[in-house]
Amino acid sequence: MKFDLTIALPDRPGQLVKALEPIAKNGGNIISIIHEREEPSTGIIPVSLVVDFPSKLNLKETINDLKNSGVAIIRAEEIIDTTHITVILVGRVDLRKFTENKMKKVKILGFEVSSPTSEDTCLKLELEVPAEFVEEVMDHLRKIAEAENVLLLSPI
Amino acid sequence: MNVIIVGFGFIGKETVRALYKKMDIIKRLDEEFRIIGISDSKGYIYNEKGLNLEKLINIERLSDYMAYNESGSAEELIEKRDVDLMVEATPTNIKNGEPGLTFIRKALKRGIHVVTSNKGPLVVAFKELTTLAKMNNCQLLYEGTVAGALPVFSLVRKCLQGDKIRRIMGILNGTTNYILSKMYFEGTSFELALKEAQERGITERDPSYDVDGIDAACKIVILANALMNKDIRFEDVKRTGIRRITQEAVSLAKKANYAIKLIGVIDKRIEVAPKLVPINHPLCVHGTLNAIHIESDLAGRITLIGYGAGKETVSAIMNDIFTILKDLRKS
Repeated sequence: MKFDLTIALPDRPGQLVKALEPIAKNGGNIISIIHEREEPSTGIIPVSLVVDFPSKLNLKETINDLKNSGVAIIRAEEIIDTTHITVILVGRVDLRKFTENKMKKVKILGFEVSSPTSEDTCLKLELEVPAEFVEEVMDHLRKIAEAENVLLLSPI
Repeated sequence: MNVIIVGFGFIGKETVRALYKKMDIIKRLDEEFRIIGISDSKGYIYNEKGLNLEKLINIERLSDYMAYNESGSAEELIEKRDVDLMVEATPTNIKNGEPGLTFIRKALKRGIHVVTSNKGPLVVAFKELTTLAKMNNCQLLYEGTVAGALPVFSLVRKCLQGDKIRRIMGILNGTTNYILSKMYFEGTSFELALKEAQERGITERDPSYDVDGIDAACKIVILANALMNKDIRFEDVKRTGIRRITQEAVSLAKKANYAIKLIGVIDKRIEVAPKLVPINHPLCVHGTLNAIHIESDLAGRITLIGYGAGKETVSAIMNDIFTILKDLRKS
């Protein structure tokens, strides 16, 4: 599991090494580290890390250890991989039917409706879906489309 | 090798033409190669010493050839002595596979190798026919049944022997691809594009076989059974045609860098449906072209592109004949 971990370190030599120790101890694998030291120094340097931990518990323990050693935590949250999906719906589309319930995990990034020349409306939806839910979301869309007699065009 | 051809329509005639053209190469493999009989729906011609191919390529109807047996049937021809290989090229019937199914059954039971481009019998009775071939120690090859000249079965069997096929998807019907390409490039309506396809003779007067995805679904059945070890029938393919695709849908897709294509897919789902294909994807081919995209564990992704109907299909039939000739030489 990947986490965005941003911490605040005093601008003194040796602080970064001290902060990285609990991460390693708790099984974290550092994927990236951004350490921006401004001039003139404000005395505190924010350090942003992307860390891969075996579980949430490892992150929790790391945070405790960091706090105990006097490191301030600015942000610690899971990074969720998302996928962008474009779908087109053809028919008498009631958008509410498609966006309720299971679609809570889905962000609608954009939509476009065509001016219909027939009684079938055409609607393009741009969705952002957590990668692990793509199958589930597509199954849900398929079911609603079938029940509503709407043609669902999804990417291959 | 003594060969009979059952069916003297477009494919039957083109096969005779190709055999005539390539006879030099064939004779190098088998000096004794000859076509000893050909049947059409009304009768047959037969000569145990071999028919005259030069005469055959110049006739329109089989009855124009000398000694046409008017009351004879293809089944009689199959029963003749010393038939080694049958090229079955009767019209496709996906409801019951006939008359091809009866002919193929009969030939295989007699230990005659069969080469066919007819989907019907394989859609209806794939397992039965492949088992029958195995039991009678003969080959049943059908490269021409799916996407005409594209060598998909040969590719997987000969060149991907250590691979596990995880997914196959493709554009398996040239007519619907023609219609959707017209809509994509010219902004025409489905009805207009269909009318033009009919006028150009690309589709039948009753276009349902193409536009409702029936033809593509038949090909999915054969691909799934032959290459992915499934045991499915036509009814198992979830099928959606392209009649509801509107100009607006095509242009919305186009703006988002997609083309709408009728795609057959075999993975967890087995279906034929219009899908959004990214314009830079190798499956995004236009006009009457077919394309098959294979995903396997070792080779990764392979795409075949080419023509799926017409006289290009004869290439597949010829390759099947050559395969059998070479295998016989080895043994």
